[in-house]
Amino acid sequence: MSEQTRAPADVPPVGTDSGTATGPDASAEQLPGRGARLTEALFKFQSLFGLVLVFVAAVAFSPSRGGELVFLDSQNLFNVVRSISEIGILAVGMTLVILIGGIDLSVGSVLGLASVGAATLLMNNDVGVAVMAAAVLAIGLGFGLLQGFASARFGIQAFIVTLAGMQIARGLARIWSGGQGISITYGDGPGQAPVLFSLLGERTFNGLVPIPALIFIVIAALAVVLLRVSAFSRHVYAIGGNEKAARLSGVPVTRVKIIVFGICGLLAALAGIVHAGQLNFGAPNDGAMYELDAIAAVVIGGTSLMGGRGSVVGTVAGALLVGVLRNILALNNIDSNIQLLIIGLVIVLAAGLQRLRPASVSS
Amino acid sequence: MDGKLRAPVDMVGVSKSYGGVHAVREVDFSIRPGEVHALLGENGAGKSTLMKVLSGEVSGYRGEIRIGAEPVALGSPLAARRAGIAMIHQELDLVPALSIAENVWLGREPRTRLRTVDLRRMVGETAGLLARTGVRLDPRRPVEQLRTGEQQLVTIAKALSLDARILIMDEPTSALSGREVEQLFAVIGELRRAGTGIVYISHRMDEIGRVADRATVLRNGRVVAEFDARSMTAEQASEAMVGRPLHLMFRTGADRSPSRTAPASDTAGSDTAGSDAAGSDDSGADTGAAELLRVTDLVVVPRRPRAGRREPAGISLRVRRGEIVGLAGLLGSGRTELLETLFGVGSRGRWGGQVLLAGRSIRPSDPRRALRLGMAFVPEDRRVAGLALEHSVLTNTVLSVVARIAKLGVVSRATEQSLTRRITERLSVKLASVHSPVGALSGGNQQKVVLGRGLLTEPKLLLLDDPTRGVDVGAKAEIYQLLGEIARQGVGVLLASSEPAELVGVCDRVVVLSDGRSVRELDTARVSEAELLAAAIGTPTGAGAGRDLALGAGG
Repeated sequence: MSEQTRAPADVPPVGTDSGTATGPDASAEQLPGRGARLTEALFKFQSLFGLVLVFVAAVAFSPSRGGELVFLDSQNLFNVVRSISEIGILAVGMTLVILIGGIDLSVGSVLGLASVGAATLLMNNDVGVAVMAAAVLAIGLGFGLLQGFASARFGIQAFIVTLAGMQIARGLARIWSGGQGISITYGDGPGQAPVLFSLLGERTFNGLVPIPALIFIVIAALAVVLLRVSAFSRHVYAIGGNEKAARLSGVPVTRVKIIVFGICGLLAALAGIVHAGQLNFGAPNDGAMYELDAIAAVVIGGTSLMGGRGSVVGTVAGALLVGVLRNILALNNIDSNIQLLIIGLVIVLAAGLQRLRPASVSS
Repeated sequence: MDGKLRAPVDMVGVSKSYGGVHAVREVDFSIRPGEVHALLGENGAGKSTLMKVLSGEVSGYRGEIRIGAEPVALGSPLAARRAGIAMIHQELDLVPALSIAENVWLGREPRTRLRTVDLRRMVGETAGLLARTGVRLDPRRPVEQLRTGEQQLVTIAKALSLDARILIMDEPTSALSGREVEQLFAVIGELRRAGTGIVYISHRMDEIGRVADRATVLRNGRVVAEFDARSMTAEQASEAMVGRPLHLMFRTGADRSPSRTAPASDTAGSDTAGSDAAGSDDSGADTGAAELLRVTDLVVVPRRPRAGRREPAGISLRVRRGEIVGLAGLLGSGRTELLETLFGVGSRGRWGGQVLLAGRSIRPSDPRRALRLGMAFVPEDRRVAGLALEHSVLTNTVLSVVARIAKLGVVSRATEQSLTRRITERLSVKLASVHSPVGALSGGNQQKVVLGRGLLTEPKLLLLDDPTRGVDVGAKAEIYQLLGEIARQGVGVLLASSEPAELVGVCDRVVVLSDGRSVRELDTARVSEAELLAAAIGTPTGAGAGRDLALGAGG
């Protein structure tokens, strides 16, 4: 589902040909009925439909405590959002990269690097939260930009560049941390992190919304708006849709690609800061496989790995779907290994659905 | 297929549509044993689709296919092969890294008793097949080392190895030299005597007259005429293909010329490869104001030469404001490469010569710069290089200007909608909604979208690479009309085309390219289509010289 184009839900299909060519029976095309429109909406917003389905199922199967459904408890719901906030932030960046037909395998490692960076800077270098955040985000941005440059400028596949980046970021995280996790303790003294940073751990906004969830929501909203209104997003979609055509149309393909990888790296670093804050720990080995969870959220969200088709709304719904699914399975004490099986099936189902997508559904 | 079961194959009422666009409709087509049946039609007329139905490459057709009297279902290439139908593709479907022998036997390699691939037998039998096609090649050579013509012969050898009852040849001679063509005709004769039915798709009338028994003409997916191939004239066939008398096709509107009026003698500046070839009868004492593009002795020596590309090797030409200049030449003469070089997407490497745009020396190195300089480019294959087919008409149309119309990076929906509406109305693009996927439009309307995108940039110079390829006749005429209008507004147009009639009908002047050099320049007011053809043929090239004007690739 595209951010930019509304479904031509209430119009007949495009004429078969120019009039002179096809003659009088050009009108022999079938008109889309209500069924066709429903199909179209289903394919464009599949992960939203899926989310609703899973949500309803979660309500139905929720255990209750004192007459209240545990699942619908607001604390529980916000915990669901908290639980997916890191993957969600990664997935937003991943969506952009996948929209240009790329992939970024390094985000999990960059998350680890950033969490180490956050902890080290706060605990060993005695810098404030703002300086730490600026430095760590700059590292993530720079890392992403470099990967984008290597990929776009020299035409190396993003898969390979970021596979290398994944190793490099992980190596840097271990070197920086000395191979040890760094605990974050709070206080005013030297060697302690400013109390402000503990916001990410336990605190909630308005006593309800966990701060990581809030950060995720803000990032997702920004990305949705960016993809909806900006000229930049047109270039992103165009590159994924047909890179050659985009280049010939004057789209600054190389620049856009580099920026997209930069954004993805930046968001991975942000997720790393959130990670460190939630755990009060800088963990050089954390974030492994997160890149795959992020890709899963993107795929469930209906974004095509070929690029040019998809949306952040879908990705957010995809991430939430996984979160809700995990939550309800956990509430029912279903083995976490079974959870893996079920989530695997959901990914296949989502991708399979997109294969059935009719050509008439515009991106 | 045992080679003895020769029975006619009949396609009855076959239709196939892609996403609402009918590629072929209610077509009856038959092939008898031992017959060569030519299939004619313009690009996009449905020839390839019809043959893909027959070779099982597309499924979901309607209608019936019968072998003998027996209806057969051909939904897959395997089913077609079992039925004894094989196709030689125009785009060569060979695996470059594999050897000739491995390609010929791909998927049905002969086995030894140990079930390993019997390399010796494979190589031996391939050598025999190659000998039948009259080419001397080592079957162990990787296909990527072969010339295109040799690769074409390998595909023919592969088809022979299938011992098919029906063999479909889609422009089999497009890359063959004269001698190789003779050998191919000998093979066809041999096959015919053995009772094989052959479908022969080609644009070359002389070949069809020689090799075919019957000819069927398709237009817009329908059969419009059938001829006895031996008595058919080129005019009959062309008019059936085009669907109207040729002289009505190419109306660009009123005569525009300042350009047509005053041909003068050649200037000293364009002392080029072409000037000795005579007929360079148009050029100018005109200076600055009217002259938009002047290319002098353009040479590109690529850093990494790519096979199959003919880089500019001495091209001189000029385009004035309001003038439509054609680029003619055989396939592989370097038309596309010239346009790409001008637009900054050609091969990187050393340059020689000079390109002046509106009096300024330019050396475009990327398309963004070319667009800023006032050029717009409509590439040869809109599906490959022109459009994001899944995206809407709107996003495709405004792509080149979307950054410019944005304020603080934000695109105004109202602005882009009104721009899209304006340009699609001006080009009479037939669409239900600007939000429909552009891939759902017909070829002609898709091409108009690409053209419209270029026009929105308000170019001074429009570079068009075969813009009417795969475009139906009605849209073609509309595009010509539009080019006339644009030129009257002072835009210069450089139009590469593989259709002589189009060049003569639409252009003010035509520059003939050969082997990457401009060899002649013709004033279309004084030259006929036939003379243009002769000019293009008369200049020797490597393969296929003097045989025909290789009219691009088919649809």
